[in-house]
Amino acid sequence: MALREKSFNNQRRNSTTMKRSKANFETWSWFFMRISGLVLFFLALIHFSITHIFNDVTTTTVAFVAKRWANPLWRVFDWLLLALGLLHGSNGLRFIMDDYIRTPRRRAFAKAFMYSLSAALFVVGTITIVTYKGTL
Amino acid sequence: MSTRSTVYKGKTGQWAFVLHRISGFLILMFILLHIIDISTINFPNVYASIHRLYGNVFMRTFEVGLLFGLTYHALNGLRVIMIDFFPGVIKNEKRLFVAMFSLSLLLTVVGGVIILKPFFTGRV
Repeated sequence: MALREKSFNNQRRNSTTMKRSKANFETWSWFFMRISGLVLFFLALIHFSITHIFNDVTTTTVAFVAKRWANPLWRVFDWLLLALGLLHGSNGLRFIMDDYIRTPRRRAFAKAFMYSLSAALFVVGTITIVTYKGTL
Repeated sequence: MSTRSTVYKGKTGQWAFVLHRISGFLILMFILLHIIDISTINFPNVYASIHRLYGNVFMRTFEVGLLFGLTYHALNGLRVIMIDFFPGVIKNEKRLFVAMFSLSLLLTVVGGVIILKPFFTGRV
């Protein structure tokens, strides 16, 4: 029996007798992408509609942001969009890096750079949203 | 299930995947840029000069592209969720892709007219 065929048959045997495997990090990552994606579906499309469709982009001035952020609920909305967008996006970029960066060393460097950049921007964004004192 | 049924190379599933990946990557790049431009809010002059750029026709065209990326990624994401959680959906995978792609094109055209119009009517 050819090796390839043998391994295929083994796989088939395994898949029919296989029990549900234990949830690991990748299982939670997969689940997180579905849940955050569903939440971002609403957050991102509402955000884009407000800033580009219902208001022209040139009217999104400092005063526009100050007026919106006078309501803490919009700050929560924007912060959720920031946090989930960065987590969903950087996890997606992690998949892309796993697929296309072939050497482990480069992959580690790329991921370290990407995680640091996302973390730094998360801090910058959070500080911006939380500490802004409106100039109404 | 035969192995054949799980192979989607060259079919709609592959293109849905490729577009999903490209749009996701570009949206993330925009988010990184957007966090930085909003962080200038405490320097109103800097914020104003950056945001004036968003009104020119090149940036408006870019925003229409962003709208397509966003609507496609959002709707195709729903398709992926449906396929993952409801096994029967895989049978309509192709029709679902055509529906989601068309809907995102339609939303982009409608939104694109609204985004680009002020530039051509000179109300910017």
